[in-house]
Amino acid sequence: MNKDAQMRAAINQKLIETGKRECFKELLRPKLTECVWKDQLKVHCKEVIKEKGLEHITVDDLVAEITPKGRALVPDSVKKELLQRIRTFLTRARWLSL
Amino acid sequence: MKMEEMSLSGLDNSKLEAIAQEIYADLVEDSCLGFCFEVHRAVKCGYFFLDDTDPDSMKDFEIVDQPGLDIFGQVFNQWKSKECVCPNCSRSIAASRFAPHLEKCLGMGRNSSRIANRRIANSNNMNKSESDQEDNDDINDNDWSYGSEKKAKKRKSDKLWYLPFQNPNSPRRSKSLKHKNGELSNSDPFKYSNSTGISYETLGPEELRSLLTTQCGVISEHTKKMCTRSLRCPQHTDEQRRTVRIYFLGSSAVLPEVESSLDNDSFDMTDSQALISRLQWDGSSDLSPSDSGSSKTSENQGWGLGTNNSESRKTKKKKSHLSLVGTASGLGSNKKKKPKPPAPPTPSIYDDIN
Repeated sequence: MNKDAQMRAAINQKLIETGKRECFKELLRPKLTECVWKDQLKVHCKEVIKEKGLEHITVDDLVAEITPKGRALVPDSVKKELLQRIRTFLTRARWLSL
Repeated sequence: MKMEEMSLSGLDNSKLEAIAQEIYADLVEDSCLGFCFEVHRAVKCGYFFLDDTDPDSMKDFEIVDQPGLDIFGQVFNQWKSKECVCPNCSRSIAASRFAPHLEKCLGMGRNSSRIANRRIANSNNMNKSESDQEDNDDINDNDWSYGSEKKAKKRKSDKLWYLPFQNPNSPRRSKSLKHKNGELSNSDPFKYSNSTGISYETLGPEELRSLLTTQCGVISEHTKKMCTRSLRCPQHTDEQRRTVRIYFLGSSAVLPEVESSLDNDSFDMTDSQALISRLQWDGSSDLSPSDSGSSKTSENQGWGLGTNNSESRKTKKKKSHLSLVGTASGLGSNKKKKPKPPAPPTPSIYDDIN
């Protein structure tokens, strides 16, 4: 397990160093916007805020409420594409490291 | 690092897939977190609910899709037939004519000031028939374009005159001075009256005489004013100038050019000799002191001014510098007409100098 953890850490580091992480992020953001993921999540947010009250809402509350919903709301197409890119990156990294 | 890299290569696909999923999950969580921060900020800053509208106001601004109306529900020609009441003159004016009417009614705007100026100028003209003031508009227009053009032309013609007679001594200087003086003294009182000519009605006899010796003086038919250009102005002929002078100064009046030959008499020399000596002094190279040259020059002079010589002897008026230039100019013009005769004498001058 330690190895795995180490490995993951190494991969993550590679991801950040090569700038690929930011790259993926920038890829994801417009995709989520155009597939109305943001709007749906916003509606959910409004409900949460109305429920909790406008004055007393905190970031933690929001995060706790929103994140699971957000993860679920991502459309499949976006998910698949992103996974594909990550796999490509990993394969390339594996071959390059040889 | 090497160990990790090697372990990476030893990974099977399922593990790779698991790692990919993890990475994906991280990315999505990051996006969600970013979104939460945005929302929280919007809530705390108070603009989160701004884009919400209540259904009542939504109905007010609903898009209209009826024939004859635009999307706001307004009628197209609604304002054409309406009439407005002018606050100034209290008349009811059609809406489409209201703006121009207001402009004229209140006296503001470009056109109304122009019309007013014209009216004033016209009324002035009617009232003062003898005044020098003309239509302001015309004056201003002429001042700017015609006046400057005239000035430029004048200077140019002056230059052409002086070119063959380059001499630091008096003739040129005094001519220019005199011209200046003439201009200053004559045009100053009339500076504000006009720029293209002088009204002879208000001139005294002395002023008239001095004016006629320096300027063309021909009276324009359109403006009834005297031409202020040079004595050789191309717009008017010598005949016209003579007529004007006779009209003003009587039958004894002569063109100033003619009076140049007077100085030949005043110096007690024959015409031709005086001319020759003066010309030599002026540095003219085209006319020689030799007999052939002198005969030709006298010929030239005779041709141009011969008819006036007898008259000039009777009346003695003019000053040397004017006459000199008059002579020079006369000869210059004659030279233009008869280019051939002056040519042969040229080499003989240089022979003489050498």
